[in-house]
Amino acid sequence: MELSVNGQRHQLDDAVAEPQMPLLWVLRDLLDLTGTKFGCGVAACGACTVHVDGQPQRSCVLPLSAVAGKAVLTIEALGSAAAPHVLQTAWVAHQVPQCGYCQSGMLMAAAALLAKNPNPSDTEIDAAITNLCRCGSYPRVRDAIKSAAAALRAAAPARRAAPATAKRASA
Amino acid sequence: MRRRSLLLAGLGGAGALLVGWGVLPQRSRLGRADTLAPKAGEFGLNGWIKIGADGSVVLAMPRSEMGQGVHTALAMLVAEELGLPLTRVQLVDAGADTLYGNVAMFVGSLPIHPTDSEPGQETRGVRAGRWLVGKVARELGINATGGSSSVADAWEPLRRAAATARGQMLGAASLQWRLPVAELLLADGVISHPSGMKAHYGELARMAASTPPGDAVPKAAADWRLIGTAAPRIDIEAKSRGEAHFGIDVRLPGLVYAVVRHCPMLGGGIGSVKAEAALKLPGVERMVRLGPYAGSTAALAVVGRSSWHALRGAQALEVEWQPRPAGPLESAAILQSLEAQARAAAATHGGFVFHERGDWPAALAGAARRVEAVYRAPYLAHAAMEPINCTARVADGRVEVWVPTQVPGLARALAARVAGVAEDAVTVHVTYLGGGFGRRLEVDFVGQAVRVALETGGRPVQLLWPREEDITHDFYRPAGVAVLQAAFDGAGALSGLAISSAGDAITPRWLERALPALAGPLEMPDKTTAEGLFDLPYGVPHQRQAHVATHSGVPVGFWRSVGHSHNAFFSEGFIDELAGEAAADPVAFRLALLKSMPRHAAVLQLAAEKAGWGQPLPAGRARGVALHGSFGSIVAQVAEVSLQGGAARVHRVVCAVDCGIVVNPGIVAQQMESAVIFGLTAALFGRIDIEAGAVRQRNFPDHPLLTLAQTPLIETHIVPSTWPPAGMGEPGVPPVAPALANALFVLTGQRQRELPLRML
Repeated sequence: MELSVNGQRHQLDDAVAEPQMPLLWVLRDLLDLTGTKFGCGVAACGACTVHVDGQPQRSCVLPLSAVAGKAVLTIEALGSAAAPHVLQTAWVAHQVPQCGYCQSGMLMAAAALLAKNPNPSDTEIDAAITNLCRCGSYPRVRDAIKSAAAALRAAAPARRAAPATAKRASA
Repeated sequence: MRRRSLLLAGLGGAGALLVGWGVLPQRSRLGRADTLAPKAGEFGLNGWIKIGADGSVVLAMPRSEMGQGVHTALAMLVAEELGLPLTRVQLVDAGADTLYGNVAMFVGSLPIHPTDSEPGQETRGVRAGRWLVGKVARELGINATGGSSSVADAWEPLRRAAATARGQMLGAASLQWRLPVAELLLADGVISHPSGMKAHYGELARMAASTPPGDAVPKAAADWRLIGTAAPRIDIEAKSRGEAHFGIDVRLPGLVYAVVRHCPMLGGGIGSVKAEAALKLPGVERMVRLGPYAGSTAALAVVGRSSWHALRGAQALEVEWQPRPAGPLESAAILQSLEAQARAAAATHGGFVFHERGDWPAALAGAARRVEAVYRAPYLAHAAMEPINCTARVADGRVEVWVPTQVPGLARALAARVAGVAEDAVTVHVTYLGGGFGRRLEVDFVGQAVRVALETGGRPVQLLWPREEDITHDFYRPAGVAVLQAAFDGAGALSGLAISSAGDAITPRWLERALPALAGPLEMPDKTTAEGLFDLPYGVPHQRQAHVATHSGVPVGFWRSVGHSHNAFFSEGFIDELAGEAAADPVAFRLALLKSMPRHAAVLQLAAEKAGWGQPLPAGRARGVALHGSFGSIVAQVAEVSLQGGAARVHRVVCAVDCGIVVNPGIVAQQMESAVIFGLTAALFGRIDIEAGAVRQRNFPDHPLLTLAQTPLIETHIVPSTWPPAGMGEPGVPPVAPALANALFVLTGQRQRELPLRML
């Protein structure tokens, strides 16, 4: 089948990429997009979070068949060194990562939150960021999300954060 | 047997030889210019530093970055001495030379009491012991990242190596320009002279390499520009873009994937296997039987086109599992046995005595009031976020391994044994580690990966454990039980303290599986499960701390803060009980016992002050305090807690630390936050139960970690120090559980003496 990841179309070998193969392993092992991580395989830890049509999804339990015709966005296209996502800038400013392994999933979950809520409260952050981190980056994740939200609001007070992410996904 | 007599017995035979060798100075840690194998255009200056033609400084990095910030901290030491921006220091894998062995970690394994080892006041015995172990460790040259030792270990040799390089650069410029060194200026990797002469390191490197370094000394503290600043970590940007490469991210031409499925029963075996169905699945290639490697349980590996294909194949195997030959392990029975042994040691003044002062039996006999309590802690899993993995290629008589490991040299040795080649034929590439916490001091999975790679016709294979295999086949933090006893005299003063503990020894088991060359027939006393009980700072006149080292058969290993992780819960919970017995404020009670330990007292006072100790709190909230020294550092924490729906809700944890000179206060704060959260997971949820030989917990749904929503505010306050740096990766973990339990006691009047803490 054909899969759209980060705006690029990939023709997958149906003999290998079976419909029930989780998106995570298609990304990591067939497309070598290793920024998305395997943590638990049961949608418990969120290390594998990607966006599917702008919605955060745990790709370790998401069969390939469920993303047919949809736009997948991974950490590789959230931002770049030259044009970082506002969250990535905040992540650096707050020195969020430690081992860093869960951070792709954290960032994707946070980006999805900011896309629909440019001013999340602590309770809304609690509810949206259920990703697990063994190093304990949580306090800085919270602070960085708030900084990024403030930066977004300051930069475009009238605009919602959503279009930036969606545009990149379909670019 | 007492420690002294045992040491004397050991010294008897080899004593004369040891004394002769022991007085020679430790082998230099500077290394030779060719140790680092300079590439074309690069010039090696010593075993740590080479210079690129463009003036870049390349640092040999022997320590593993697993989140603790060690790559940044060590690069800072070099950037400081060479007058460079931190971003200009590039890191390369240090390789296998014994130069890169960790000396401080082995020195830190000595069972030393804090009253004998306060900085600047070390006893002669302590100094001699450290000297000797340091020399042996330098000779062995074992590269390990553990024991919160990396900065302490690098502090002298790395700064000296960089200062030497600086001396050579200045010397080269001086010779070339015929100008005195004293007139040369150094900034941002450029040496200049007011006359207008100017050259960067790359332009001077060739000449510098043949210039004698002279007696280069590291900068004085007053001249530091980088050390002591919260410089941004050098790994953060890549980790914020998903670009940091962990072991699981290694991709090589022709790579195939293997997934491991162990016998569910720890120490069990594998009988007949029906693999036909599995091997018929698309994308599944073969099955490989894996014997026990470095302490692992026997397993099967299935090789496939992707990790998912391999996983599906592994799940489709029909296997006849065989029980552990010595009988199935049961954690409940082991804990009962530990308690019986601890109680017996308390009753008979038995166990191996790690510390003794005064006359405990007399203090007990003469006590006006006695207090006794039994504390318990379960087995714990590491559960690093990056599942266990290793990539290996065996081709043309050579072995190449890409692995997130804390012990690359031990990985290399095992890879060579499994492949049947010399160690010289093995190259180990250390990737970023997605968490270590001690789990990656083990090399079991390296043996497995190389074994599978022997079957894949020269193609590289990435071996992966699903999360369930990680939780059920860890090397667990050992369970522990301690009987704590105290005596108050007729005047109501605390006169005696005795602790009798029991738990599995870690170091001898680890040596057997990871470093068999050092595993001797004589089992030396192992402080790892007694630490945190025998080394208390409190000035109680009569003390006796003894430990019964057991061998339950459960695979046990080093878990972030090791014995301190549960023993601080025992000792600081009990001290809090004693404060209650004495009707004293918990902070004041401790301070009164710390009159000869001013650093401990200062840390405790700072935490209490910053937490507003003694000041009113909102209704329903309470504070608890704990103080604990480990890995050379001292940490006090005050937890502010309430009850919500029967569960403990931690609102705020105020931390104070004395960790010697601080290289990067940002990383110190980050590690403290990390430790508090790691400690809260253990205190609130952490347990591994072994039933009928198998671990019951399997994955995060039944092995929960603290979540963002449950995370308190965490503040870190640093006590300034001029002593060399001590550990920071682990010392924040031990006080968390007792601070929380002590707060819960204030809230509920119930003393919790078992981990994890109960719902109320």
